[in-house]
Amino acid sequence: MKQNNLMNRNLLFLLLLLPCFVFAQNTITGTVTTDKGDTVPFANVIEKGTSNGTTTDIDGKFSIDVENLPATLVFSSLGYTTVEQEVTSAGAISITMGESAEALEEVVVTGLATSVKRTNAANAVSTVSAEELVGTTGQSTVDGALYGKVVGVNITSSSGAPGGGFALRLRGISSINGNNQPLIIVDGVYINNVEIPSGLRFASGANSGNEENAGNRLADLDPNDIENIEILKGSSAAAIYGQRGNAGVIIITTKRGKGGKTRINFRQDVGINKIQNALGLRPWTAASVLETFGQDAVDQFNATIAANGELYDYEDIIYGETGFITETALSATGGNAKTKFYLGGSYRDEEGIIKNTGFDRFSIRANIDHKISNVFDISSTTNYVRSNSQRSFTGNENEGGLSYGYTLAFTRPWVNLFPDAQGNYPNNPNFSGNPLFVRDNAINDDSNDRVIQGLTVNTKIYTDDINRIRFSNRAGVDYLSNETFVYVPETHQAQQGLGAAAGFVAQGKNSFTQFNTQSALVWDHDAMEGDLAFTTQIGTAYLFQDSNLINARGTGLAAGQTSVDQSANQTTDQFRSEEKEFGVFGQVEANYKDQIIGTLGYRFDKSTRNGDPNEFYGFPKASVAVNLANMDFWSVEAINQMKLRAAYGETGNPARFGATFTSLGASNIGGVIGQSVVGVKGDADVEPETASEFEVGLDLGLFQNRVSFEATYYKKNIRDLILTRQLPPSSGFTQETTNLADLENNGIELAVRADVLDTDAIKWNTGVQFYLNRSEITRLDVPAFAQPGAGFGTGLGTIYIEEGQPVTQLVGSIDGVLTQVGDTEPDFQMAFNNNLTLFNNVDISFLFQLKSGGENLNLSKFLTDLGQTTPDLETQAGQDRLDTPANAARFVEPAGYLRLREAAIYYRLPSNTVKGLFGEVVEGVKLGFSGRNLFTITDYSSYDPEVSVNGGAGLSSGIEVTPFPSNRQVYFHLNVNF
Amino acid sequence: MKNIYKTIATISMAVLGLLAVSSCSFDEVIDPNGPSVDGVLANASKGQLNELVVGVESTLRNGIAIETTASGTMARELYLFDADPRNTGDLLGKNGIPLDNNSFYSTSQWSGSYRCIKNANLLIEGASNTDAITSVEQNGYLGFAKTVIAYELIQMVKSYNQARTDTTDPENIGPLENGEAVLAFARGLLDEANGNLNNAGGSFEFGLSSGFDGFDTPSTFAQFNRAVAAMAAVYSGDGGAARTALNASFFNLNGDLSVGPKHIFGLGGGDQSNGLFKVPGENGDQIIVHDSWVNDAEAGDTRVTTKTAVRPNPQSQDDLNGTNETALYESNTSPIDIMRNEELILIYAEASIQAGELGDAQTALDIIRNSAGLPNKDYGGAPTAAQLTSEMLTQRRYSLWAENHRMYDLRRYNLSNTLPIDRDGDQIYNTLPVPLAETN
Repeated sequence: MKQNNLMNRNLLFLLLLLPCFVFAQNTITGTVTTDKGDTVPFANVIEKGTSNGTTTDIDGKFSIDVENLPATLVFSSLGYTTVEQEVTSAGAISITMGESAEALEEVVVTGLATSVKRTNAANAVSTVSAEELVGTTGQSTVDGALYGKVVGVNITSSSGAPGGGFALRLRGISSINGNNQPLIIVDGVYINNVEIPSGLRFASGANSGNEENAGNRLADLDPNDIENIEILKGSSAAAIYGQRGNAGVIIITTKRGKGGKTRINFRQDVGINKIQNALGLRPWTAASVLETFGQDAVDQFNATIAANGELYDYEDIIYGETGFITETALSATGGNAKTKFYLGGSYRDEEGIIKNTGFDRFSIRANIDHKISNVFDISSTTNYVRSNSQRSFTGNENEGGLSYGYTLAFTRPWVNLFPDAQGNYPNNPNFSGNPLFVRDNAINDDSNDRVIQGLTVNTKIYTDDINRIRFSNRAGVDYLSNETFVYVPETHQAQQGLGAAAGFVAQGKNSFTQFNTQSALVWDHDAMEGDLAFTTQIGTAYLFQDSNLINARGTGLAAGQTSVDQSANQTTDQFRSEEKEFGVFGQVEANYKDQIIGTLGYRFDKSTRNGDPNEFYGFPKASVAVNLANMDFWSVEAINQMKLRAAYGETGNPARFGATFTSLGASNIGGVIGQSVVGVKGDADVEPETASEFEVGLDLGLFQNRVSFEATYYKKNIRDLILTRQLPPSSGFTQETTNLADLENNGIELAVRADVLDTDAIKWNTGVQFYLNRSEITRLDVPAFAQPGAGFGTGLGTIYIEEGQPVTQLVGSIDGVLTQVGDTEPDFQMAFNNNLTLFNNVDISFLFQLKSGGENLNLSKFLTDLGQTTPDLETQAGQDRLDTPANAARFVEPAGYLRLREAAIYYRLPSNTVKGLFGEVVEGVKLGFSGRNLFTITDYSSYDPEVSVNGGAGLSSGIEVTPFPSNRQVYFHLNVNF
Repeated sequence: MKNIYKTIATISMAVLGLLAVSSCSFDEVIDPNGPSVDGVLANASKGQLNELVVGVESTLRNGIAIETTASGTMARELYLFDADPRNTGDLLGKNGIPLDNNSFYSTSQWSGSYRCIKNANLLIEGASNTDAITSVEQNGYLGFAKTVIAYELIQMVKSYNQARTDTTDPENIGPLENGEAVLAFARGLLDEANGNLNNAGGSFEFGLSSGFDGFDTPSTFAQFNRAVAAMAAVYSGDGGAARTALNASFFNLNGDLSVGPKHIFGLGGGDQSNGLFKVPGENGDQIIVHDSWVNDAEAGDTRVTTKTAVRPNPQSQDDLNGTNETALYESNTSPIDIMRNEELILIYAEASIQAGELGDAQTALDIIRNSAGLPNKDYGGAPTAAQLTSEMLTQRRYSLWAENHRMYDLRRYNLSNTLPIDRDGDQIYNTLPVPLAETN
């Protein structure tokens, strides 16, 4: 076949070279139709070898004048095979274009304005489809929905609160102190994924904003709007994103209109939230109460048993609620040849496992694609989101009496903490807070109003049969207005008696604007008779971000009042930032007959976050993919794809805003403004962190891709990591931020997919993923140190930055010797995914996820041991533990687990039944049940081995202090297509 | 073929270069959130210097709560029953656990005090490199700053028995020196500061908070300077110099014991609250009096009832018990004394013992005994240096309870090992470890 094509083309080429003697105008007219008889509007019609061309109109008709006859016309249109037709005389002709199988083939992004067929990609780009993302069960956030679906990603959940709190790490840690979250781009818009502190720590005594249990704002994006997610995991794939690409890039494309008949989809989910793994009460006996707390406690114990027949199980009382979940979504897609639209609206309301907690999100979206002419097309994506969450109080604190886990650790189950008939809550005799009072009266809420707008304009500048030049412009705005509200009544136990200062309220008003543009000139050029295709692009990118965070707090509240205005003492914090980045990029991709595909690219970037805001840093990339199975010599029928690929790329990560400053902060006394050093010393010469990554891989497709296999090895070196290192505090500064270290990550990613069965009765496809990552700090210009904000000192254990060791190691002082007690990096992770379709009506799917190895530091147990409430303290092993020193070795625990992450069964009503029931109005009805986190097997002794007391930023450490327990969700789904 | 590559490459690089060169230039970035440190080091205005003075006084309070509860716990004066178990674990050496050099109790005072010292050093550098003030005015700034630095260094000696004295250049800090050397340095600096204050005219160009009412002019602030000098001298065993310094201080054997400069507190923005205040009767966050302090007191000692209160319910945590709680401060904005006449009288007693003036010592101690309402108004023990020292330490134990003195008092008289052990396996520590970050 291939040979023949080549001959034909040569023949055509020869024909073109024939001298022509006819100079008259020759008009050729005609109609282009598909092989099914439909007309093809807006197809390109070009006279081969010239720039003479036109397009078909809406009815598929065209008219073109050619100078010479015979001429060859080339007809092309997206989604159809290109047709070349030799015309020997003027007049009408009919052209039939077949639908192209190739056009349906998946493409992946390789440039800022271009993509390539997956089969030609030189990187292992993971793609998650809408079906994989949300097709099985209900998902409240995009990051939470990715568990087990992407090789090479490590997801940590820092909170079980509704609305989440997740950290995504692609191919390991890429920054110790800077940004570790991948760049997230939705339809060309760089979106904000901040965790916004609420000021709660000023009431709870938590050490920093990242201990306030805030969610990350990716939660605002409705996962159901997403068509697919592409994940550029490492620098080699993300190099063209330059200094924003170090932690990888997640490219999210939302659903687009498909044209044709307007389709309406209605979906209704209802579900419940339950605690996944309650720990239970210590099985107290009178004897153990006596031994632990003495005779008074035994008397109370006996009195409670006598009165109630049992003890108060406060864990169950606080965490044992059943949260109700509803999600309603309505979407419409449609359009004509010129304009296509997707409209979607959804409302999700999720109650948590703690009373008065929840998350709700209202999202509307309009995606419009419009073809202005054959030259211009535009597309606009608009998304408005309003989300609210009630997260209550969990995590670390100091003397706030607010965090439930903290309070429960010390609360004794024979003490009645319920309010009396007048509604007065008793004080907790053993801790500074009554958890029932906090649950019923204290507030920790946030609300977000968000508009994300993207606009793309494509201009076809020039087209002939071997050159296509277009100018692609994208711009995006993400505006987020966030409010946080924390209220602790003056009657809260820890607030009582603070006299003038009792009662706490914090009101945050935070706004964030991100604006980005990208302009690219793209030139497609076919050389060697089409055997060699070049795609060249060149362009610029600009990013602007500003933020303004204001937190106003009051203490000494008027009775029952919740306004800062109604407080005796008021404080306001403000933090502002503004940053700009500018980059230029160029890339050339060459494709020889889909056999060898090579890419070279380069990007220059500068940023106001670097020491010199006008210095350009360069980020090169190069890759090659060889499709052996496309080679002429290939004769193994069973193997339809065999691709060897190698890619190299560099990316960067600028210093955090403010890293260049050494500033004074307000330090007042007697009501007079004063200035003091703030402890942080900046570096006016700080440079960006840069990563270089080399990736090699093998992709195999067997039996026409019924079985596919993908293997990748990568090695990523990150240089000049910007660290906040500790300074000798006697210098007046405790921390300095500067370039101090190198880090290496390497890992393996394997994925197998197979359509095991494909019969009328049963279809079964399965997928297995396996991946692991290892890190090592290869350079550290300062002595090893305990990472600030990632642990509680070497006494209790901390992430410890040390040359030659993994960046994720946990170190504690054991008998005065610093000892590695664990490593939060898993040994490996696996996912096992299955989809079965029975008799075309029943879909069954389930996803197992395995994390093997890795340790957590369970400091919740430190507290429950201290309060004598750990469930195992009735055993000898538990009692023996109490006698060991309270150090990191005592609290480190294996954090591996096997989890049934998702499972579902759906039933699609047969079309006859649907017709019988609803006539022509309804096209399809699907209903089913699903569950999330249905069971977990783990040795970890607390709620969930997925945990981080320090939120999702930074190293997101695998250190636990009384988190919001994780939940299990069960749903009923109803899906109707009109 | 080669031509195509070449053309593409040339055009691309040319356009890239052109774009890079012609792109907008970003302005130098200025911190929108605060003034820069460099800005105050040269040509500072009087306003900038005065803001540093406020910063120095404000940060003089840094770490005060933790240093007091940590040393008080180690010296078995008190327990801090709060959410952090290290307060009843590490500090008492529970099950033999050693003190950690990277925990809040070892780092908080060190970094807090050195931040204050840094501010004072910035003030000295700023005041020395500006035309905005006269040399007389400059002396006021320098005298204030140096006195504060010396005071902070003495606090470091009390907790850590070592410190760095040369910390002006953060890139090149001086070595850790032992307590004796640090005290000697502080005494020299105090004398220097006194010289500055004596040439600083009749008033300061800056304001101090109401905590320094009565000590807010060069001559009255010099009285505070001399009080600190007397304290340093006594700690160095130089009783004679201490007595001389006391005479130029606000020391007054017959005066109000409570006179002296104070740390004041507030709840406004950028301010600090009194971290040693605990809500009366509160559980879960309370300073509990070590029972031995209550039990060892002479009957009728009013300090037991004024400084502490019997709890509504006896408190126990981590196998530790106590019947009394702190009553030192009325609210979280109550002031904390920096030094008061009562301490100066006790310093006078100690200096007199050191100088062999035992009669003077006894006179001073009797004033304290009387003020405490003790039934035996006068000291009834033997008038020997050893016995008087013991009496002096006892009076300091009760007059200065929970004011960060006891641990150092016992250490300098080699008496730490006389402390009671509450639980099997507990250890006695009398010096905090220098923070990990200092030893790197």
